[in-house]
Amino acid sequence: MANLSTRFFGLELKNPLVIASSGLTNSLENIKIFAESGAGAVVLKSIFEEEVYFEYEEMMRKQGGSHHFHEHLDYFDYQIKDENVKDYIRFISDVKEAVDIPVVGSINCISSGDWVQFASKIEAAGADAIELNLFILPSDLNKSASEASEFYLSTVKAVLAKVNIPVSVKISSYFSNLGGMVKELAEAGVAGVTMFNRFYSPDVDLNSLSLKAANVLSSPSEYVMPLRWIGLLAGRVECQLAATTGIHDADTAIKMLLAGADAVQLASIFYHKGPAYAKELLAEMEKWMDEKGFASVEEMKGKLSFTNAKNPGWYERVQFMNYFGEYNG
Amino acid sequence: MTVNTDYLKEQRGQEWRVELRKKIKNKDRLTIERVKMPEMDPMERIKYQDKEVNLGLTLDAAMREASRCMDCANPTCIEGCPVSINIPKFVKNIERGEILDAASTLKETSALPAVCGRVCPQEKQCEARCFYVEKMKKDPVAIGYLERFAADYERESGSMSIPNVEDANGVKVATIGSGPAALSFAGDMVKLGYDVTVFEALHEIGGVLKYGIPEFRLPNSIVDVELDNLRKMGVKFETNFVVGRTASVEDLEEQGFKAFFVGSGAGLPRFMNIPGENYNGIMSSNEYLTRVNLMNAADDSYDTPVLKGKNVAVIGGGNTAMDSVRTAKRLGAERAMIIYRRSLEEMPARVEEVKHAMEEGIEFINLHNPVEYFANENGRVNKMKVQRMELGEPDASGRRRPVALDEYVELDVDLVVVAVGVSPNPLIPSCMPDLEVSRWGTIEVNEDKMQTSIPQLFAGGDIVRGGATVILAMGDGRKAAESMHGFLKEKYNL
Repeated sequence: MANLSTRFFGLELKNPLVIASSGLTNSLENIKIFAESGAGAVVLKSIFEEEVYFEYEEMMRKQGGSHHFHEHLDYFDYQIKDENVKDYIRFISDVKEAVDIPVVGSINCISSGDWVQFASKIEAAGADAIELNLFILPSDLNKSASEASEFYLSTVKAVLAKVNIPVSVKISSYFSNLGGMVKELAEAGVAGVTMFNRFYSPDVDLNSLSLKAANVLSSPSEYVMPLRWIGLLAGRVECQLAATTGIHDADTAIKMLLAGADAVQLASIFYHKGPAYAKELLAEMEKWMDEKGFASVEEMKGKLSFTNAKNPGWYERVQFMNYFGEYNG
Repeated sequence: MTVNTDYLKEQRGQEWRVELRKKIKNKDRLTIERVKMPEMDPMERIKYQDKEVNLGLTLDAAMREASRCMDCANPTCIEGCPVSINIPKFVKNIERGEILDAASTLKETSALPAVCGRVCPQEKQCEARCFYVEKMKKDPVAIGYLERFAADYERESGSMSIPNVEDANGVKVATIGSGPAALSFAGDMVKLGYDVTVFEALHEIGGVLKYGIPEFRLPNSIVDVELDNLRKMGVKFETNFVVGRTASVEDLEEQGFKAFFVGSGAGLPRFMNIPGENYNGIMSSNEYLTRVNLMNAADDSYDTPVLKGKNVAVIGGGNTAMDSVRTAKRLGAERAMIIYRRSLEEMPARVEEVKHAMEEGIEFINLHNPVEYFANENGRVNKMKVQRMELGEPDASGRRRPVALDEYVELDVDLVVVAVGVSPNPLIPSCMPDLEVSRWGTIEVNEDKMQTSIPQLFAGGDIVRGGATVILAMGDGRKAAESMHGFLKEKYNL
């Protein structure tokens, strides 16, 4: 039987299957099933800075902007945040008590303010690591690329200064120099980088001529973007890498490991097949490894990365000219 | 509260009102400038914690101001008052010099006119709905000043009127708490003939009016006179009585109380939960103001101590923050600062309070927010780190929201008062398991009736709203009294 153990989040994992932060990891019952089904680690649902802001806005909206409540609600965001943080801390403790796999706390923040303090509370609650889910949509036309990068780096550095447990970062692909950004994050001291975060996206409703939410769950075809970047960066940056988005089966997970991922993070497929699917997926990975003669994940990891592949040009190729010249549908 | 338009019309049609309207032409009324409130000199007044800043109008000034009122056919000012005071009627009584009648008019619907005349944000309520503002874009009639004048005049005249009270019906009801909501409720219920007892946990009646608002804004003696008025109407007061500890609601029911109004307020301080907030020398505005206002800590002859600082920072921008920082100044602070994360324009404090604070030398450090406190070797706060803010888009309150910048400043401080809001007192909800409460500890009520999940229990004020103004709490008390009366009438065939 192949040895599936690996390292991510600066931690030893019994296998590379990490349950990504999602609504599913907001439930102790689900997390118990994931653990029983053999998952290597679980990232708890992020506590969202934005959620607090929206809840705060909702409270004020209910008061109709009445001046009677301006004083009472003036700092109520602190109260909401405090309650949310308390609930989250309690949840971390409950999960840690219930399962024996690494438990990763997750923070989704859009500013580098006092959310940084929250990282120490996650650590104190017993989390094995922290995943920072950082994202600002670079839609401000007056902000330079370097300002956006500075936000990520300063937030990461501030959190690293506060905690002793490993910190990883889950990022999007929206960087003007993605590879350089990952390198800088690694140099700042993060234990790992997960690529790529999947966001709420807008769509157009043709019937009502209005905007609506696009599909929330990923589709299998989305795996190619993280595959490219895992392949390009594996072995070339000083941190571990995890792939996420579009990984719906064992084959895609294996592809990511071959490209150089240390771990894979999955969520959408479990919405379709339930938490117990983790067991099946791991069995399929193991079967493939046995068939191909890989004794361990370590042995296969990065075999087809940019650094190790015989034809690394595939990772850098972006134009279709020749491909379509030969493509007949 | 709903406004009885027929009653207003009938009152407006009284001969004396008709004659008074004819006495001065409207165009002449419009030319009169709004009165200015005489104030104690700022450098003199900061020497005293218990001397009122506003000195009140003279009779002449009040009558002249009252003559600005147009006695509108559609008095929109009343719609702006949470307790529906018949504003034109009391103002016109002042104009004709019948000040005691003006005071009686106030007491028709308000249990605390001298209080409201001092602490209500009239500029956002009745005065904001005044004809002068809505139609003429001019300064409103100074309704708040006139309310205070009428109440003070009556008190000083020595002939306080006692509102009519119906024959006793023998039904015992109680309030839990003695703040503005409970007192307003008590006043209305006693008028309806109920046997009303007010239970107060502290040694003084008045709730936030006593422990929260400093005497330079609302002298305790003024509150006491209003309380005495309620006492004369038949309201009974029990101090040092903690419902839920001294006796439970069930115990009181066994003693014959048929229904209760919970007005136990929001006295639980909130903090920001930032690093260093537990150092000595950092306290809530509740603690600071209660020590000074209720326990006389500023007076060395009293046992209650209070920390005094040279460099005092007060966090927040509401009236409580203004009360705290102005108290600190009066207790000898060399540098008394407001640290507020929005700009002056977004401050929830009354404009008058901000103006008074500025006159008294309070330093306003706006667009800054504390992020960490530091202490000396004894654990006493000696420094704070504040983050610069800028204003973003308007939030749901209509005010521009603060957005943090990556810029920090350090300030030397030796006393910090945190005035960022309060939470409901948890005792009553915690000892009544069937009582429905929100996630934030407020009691859930049917908003039309102020009735809780326990039918004989009504509630209002900050224990329901989390935090609001004195007058809104009074409005709740009135609404609860009306619906409790309906409930008891039906239940006991009164």
